[in-house]
Amino acid sequence: MSKKIITPVASLAHILPEDYRDLVEKGPHGKSVGIKDLGSFKEITEEHPHCAGCGVSLGVRLALAALPAPEDTLVVGTPGCSFFALSQTAVNYSNTAFGNQNSVASGLKRMLSIRYPDKDKDVVVMAGDGGIADIGLDMTLHSWFRGEKISTIMLDNEVYGNTGGQESGMSPEGQVLHMAPKGKNFKKIPVFEMARTAGCVYGARVTIASPKRLGRAVNRAILLARELGPTYVQIYTPCPTNMKFSPADTIRIAKEAGSTHYAFEEFMTEEAALRIAVMEGEQGKIQD
Amino acid sequence: MYLSVRVDKEKCIGCKICITSCPEPNVFIFLPEQKLVEVNESRCKACGLCTTVCAKEALKIG
Repeated sequence: MSKKIITPVASLAHILPEDYRDLVEKGPHGKSVGIKDLGSFKEITEEHPHCAGCGVSLGVRLALAALPAPEDTLVVGTPGCSFFALSQTAVNYSNTAFGNQNSVASGLKRMLSIRYPDKDKDVVVMAGDGGIADIGLDMTLHSWFRGEKISTIMLDNEVYGNTGGQESGMSPEGQVLHMAPKGKNFKKIPVFEMARTAGCVYGARVTIASPKRLGRAVNRAILLARELGPTYVQIYTPCPTNMKFSPADTIRIAKEAGSTHYAFEEFMTEEAALRIAVMEGEQGKIQD
Repeated sequence: MYLSVRVDKEKCIGCKICITSCPEPNVFIFLPEQKLVEVNESRCKACGLCTTVCAKEALKIG
């Protein structure tokens, strides 16, 4: 898609919705604005239907603000809390059956590569821990084994948030939940380590308490997936409703996790490191 | 009574940490000339998350 398509024709601009004009004139469509510019443009996501203080909605919002080219991005989601916000986002969005997101994204990416051979069309999977680590783990891993050029973003709230609080594969060991009253009795699935082993060229583990770092990770992941292969970003998005803490404490909980089991970590192949050096050299500094 | 976050313009220094901590899009608007934020109150869900992260105690729910 050419960016000219999203530029309103001057003679018709007055009949277009104000929100649309705002996205084009001040927002991220066709411009290089990111997390550091939030508050000065209309965002590409609208009011979310999540619980107050929801970590997932903050994760979605920050990740979307870090997209390098939202007008050329297709987001693929799966049922769960992450789905609600994405359905209200001004980017192309495809929902899938639970767990199928990486397979669908693979097909869409291949189709877009054929349809638009000269354009960079970013396909980004944005799904929760249930979709990626439990029900969709096999399809996620196989998309990485195949070297599909897609980015996978996990919004990890360590629980099945919208179905009442069952334990997830990503819940920490011993975590007591509504439907796990005795506590979870096995360890958190090491998806981050599996991503490295399965062939992702870049991976990052961040929390919503570090928005600029989160933005940089998402931006790098998407730009590297365009050229080199699969990338993975795992974002900690704590859930006040199921974890029983005050909505106002979401960032504090994320910060604490960031100094324990969710410490920032990044891996990349040598090729990816060279590419990042070139990209950041070209841009001065990669958009954060 | 409808609850929303309010900004004390005397205390706000425009650090923007509230903007990147708010789960709701388009609630805080940054005013670069005044170097402070204002709130779109009709969008705020009053979770209080921004009040917790504001180092200057410029935000409160009310």
